[in-house]
Amino acid sequence: MKKILIPISLLLLALFLPELVGRNPYFTGIMINVLMMASLASAWNIPGGYAGQFSFGHAAYFGAGAYTTLILLSGNPIDPLLALLAGVVTASLIALITGSIVFRLRGHYFALASIAVAEIVRLSVLNLQFTGGAQGILLSDLTFHGIDLNSKIPFYYGMLMILVLSMGTTAYIQSSRMGYYLQAIREDQDAAASLGINVALYKNRALLVSAALSSVTGSLYGLYIRFIDPGAVLDLRLSIEIILTAIIGGVGTIWGPVLGAILLVPLAELLRSNVIGDTLISMGIVSDVSPVGHFFKEGLAHAHVLVYGVITVVCILFMPQGVLGITRRRK
Amino acid sequence: MLIIQSLVSGLLTGGVYALAGIGMSLVFGVMNVSNFAHGDLMMLGMYLAYFAFTLLHIDPYLSLVLILPVSFLFGFLLEKLFVSRVIHHPHQNQILLTVGLGLIMSNSALLAFTSDPRILTTTYSSSSVMIFSDVSVSVPLLLSFLVTCAITALLYLFLARTRTGMALRATSQNREAAQLMGIDVSKMSAITFGIGTGLAAAAGALIAPVYYIHPMAGHNFLLKAFTVCVLGGLGSVPGATLGGLIIGVVEAFSATWISTDWKDVVVFMLFLAVLLFRPQGLFGKRGGE
Amino acid sequence: MEPLLTIDQVTRRFGGNVAVSGVSFSVMKGDITGLIGPNGAGKTTLFNCMTGYISLDAGTIIFEGRRINGKRPDQMCRLGMVRTWQRVKPLGKLSVLENVMIGAFVTTASPKVAGKASLEQLQAVGLDRYADQPAGTLPIGLKKKLELARVMATRPKMVLLDEICGGLNHAETESVLDIVRMLRKRGVTILFIEHDMKAVTSICDRIVVLSSGEKLAEGTPEEITSHPAVIEAYLGGGYHAQG
Repeated sequence: MKKILIPISLLLLALFLPELVGRNPYFTGIMINVLMMASLASAWNIPGGYAGQFSFGHAAYFGAGAYTTLILLSGNPIDPLLALLAGVVTASLIALITGSIVFRLRGHYFALASIAVAEIVRLSVLNLQFTGGAQGILLSDLTFHGIDLNSKIPFYYGMLMILVLSMGTTAYIQSSRMGYYLQAIREDQDAAASLGINVALYKNRALLVSAALSSVTGSLYGLYIRFIDPGAVLDLRLSIEIILTAIIGGVGTIWGPVLGAILLVPLAELLRSNVIGDTLISMGIVSDVSPVGHFFKEGLAHAHVLVYGVITVVCILFMPQGVLGITRRRK
Repeated sequence: MLIIQSLVSGLLTGGVYALAGIGMSLVFGVMNVSNFAHGDLMMLGMYLAYFAFTLLHIDPYLSLVLILPVSFLFGFLLEKLFVSRVIHHPHQNQILLTVGLGLIMSNSALLAFTSDPRILTTTYSSSSVMIFSDVSVSVPLLLSFLVTCAITALLYLFLARTRTGMALRATSQNREAAQLMGIDVSKMSAITFGIGTGLAAAAGALIAPVYYIHPMAGHNFLLKAFTVCVLGGLGSVPGATLGGLIIGVVEAFSATWISTDWKDVVVFMLFLAVLLFRPQGLFGKRGGE
Repeated sequence: MEPLLTIDQVTRRFGGNVAVSGVSFSVMKGDITGLIGPNGAGKTTLFNCMTGYISLDAGTIIFEGRRINGKRPDQMCRLGMVRTWQRVKPLGKLSVLENVMIGAFVTTASPKVAGKASLEQLQAVGLDRYADQPAGTLPIGLKKKLELARVMATRPKMVLLDEICGGLNHAETESVLDIVRMLRKRGVTILFIEHDMKAVTSICDRIVVLSSGEKLAEGTPEEITSHPAVIEAYLGGGYHAQG
């Protein structure tokens, strides 16, 4: 009973959260980011946390969704849902190519190849004509079955739906044979194969599901932000942020990636938005013109990735199982 | 003549890639760790050369005398403080730890030096010499290549002739057996990571006079170094040497005949092709499968 | 009696070294066959060839009348030929029960059914009270039993045991051999690698002896223990030292 009660109350809370913050666009924006990172980290977690196949190129699937959807919608009056499905197809193709090249190999190779594929995708988007190159793509107008898409609220609920989908998929996999198989592959590939597991097939399935979920997240993000460029949606840094979110929360669990996003996204926002610097200056603790004040005002905005780096190192050295790993044994 | 021109400049740049790749391959061979901070260590080498030149007025090639020992020590300490703690962990943890260290380095550099690219201009930066009557060779690239050859030769001598070098190779062959033979493998790891760091920083310093110096430069070098290592066979020093030269030439050829924008794509395609057709690399031990 | 597994002229090289050279023999249905030989005789290499972990350079492997070389390890398992590991490979973070379930999933996709079947296997080998413990925390003797339970859960026709008694004391060896006998009673054919000859002579119906990658002898335990070439191979160093 308790097992169902907590998720349902959390879902109810999530449903009413926009009303609780009075539909404040700033907070809604942050919450959309939390949901987005949670859903990306959940998707990453399926091959990464369960099967132990760390992808360092998940931005490629996210970006494939965002780009495919926006390219199709700019100038073409098609249903955004179709454009979203097209994104899933593109991302799945990239996943299939990556998987078929590297899943025969093991260890370091998948990590390396996933970066290489993501870089090929990023550089291609950067250098091709129809993708808008370095300028990116701007979507001027968007309509969807009469919903007001100038408000952030529909996107909040859209992201929430995707997160529920990602978590539901994870829960379904975890409770089925596939979940056991993925974990066996993570623990020992040779033993897994000797017990009848087609290792390459299951790795490919996990990556495919993950790529599709990441792509849907990317499509919705593209529709929400309406302007994308390679630096924003295809960068290696995004891939690394996705991994960190999952790791810090706890890999190989349903709730770990969500917890990671709840912890990390607001932290990054706090650092990025100069709130700390402004507060310190307005309280008169540091002076606006002193080097320290300058650092808090200007430097700290760039420091969130530095903080991510420190958190990663601390996390790996002292709690490699993530925050959830400390409290849980399994499930 | 275009072919020879591309070949020459490709080989010269490839030498520096080889140096970076050897450092990474050595770390992989001895410690079985993929060092994702390798590119950022190169970036630090670039800044070291830049500041040695602008603040101390030391020629970038001479500054290696300072950069090599300093970066060796830095790498030695990094291993002792961080990497050694994950050496028996799954490789994902090792990758993430080095990713984290790399993020700290690149973003500290960003805070300290800002994102403005810097250019190291020496008196001979834009000069070139002619060989074969109509092939021009940039002087800084040529100097980089010669220094690279010297460092590589010293490294080979060190690995082949000294006790420590032989112990390193033994550890690379079989860590457990080396330990049974009385080799202090944890010390070997620290020395290896020191050498790897030294070589990365040296490669960074050598490429500094011909490249934009900025905090995120490491990212691109990291992928190049990986490609070099995988092409040569993870863990193989001669493989990385040859791999570096090949990548340099492939890059120069694709810049000439395809376009500069696509040269990195060609290199990464080559990387995937190697994984597909010869995952053990040119010189690698089998066992990637 | 008919052969379940026949290997014919199997050869495998590593670089210049021939690890297994033209080895042929058959394993009869329902038998316990021992594959013995000194360290480095090529036993594990042959095992790896037979279970699809490494490819053959020459020769054929026939299982139930079908040629199976070139098949992957998971396909071999689904055909009914399953192996254990000399250096045990527990799925460390999974529980003991989950380890066995991985094997049971060959027969069913339902975790519920697999869980129930696995618990029965654990009871059969006497590991049921460790069911919820992470497999990585078991002592070596119990890990070996876990490997057997896992293999049994796949409902194999034939199991290949790679030094299943290696590193065990006398009592542990006896209880592992009891499980092997139980397996045979269930109609499972067994191929048993061991370098310690004493451990296998008591339990095997037939024995194949490998030495330096080649088949040295084949026969009943009595024939093998009195075979001059086998005595030479096992005690050769000692004889020369004395002579």
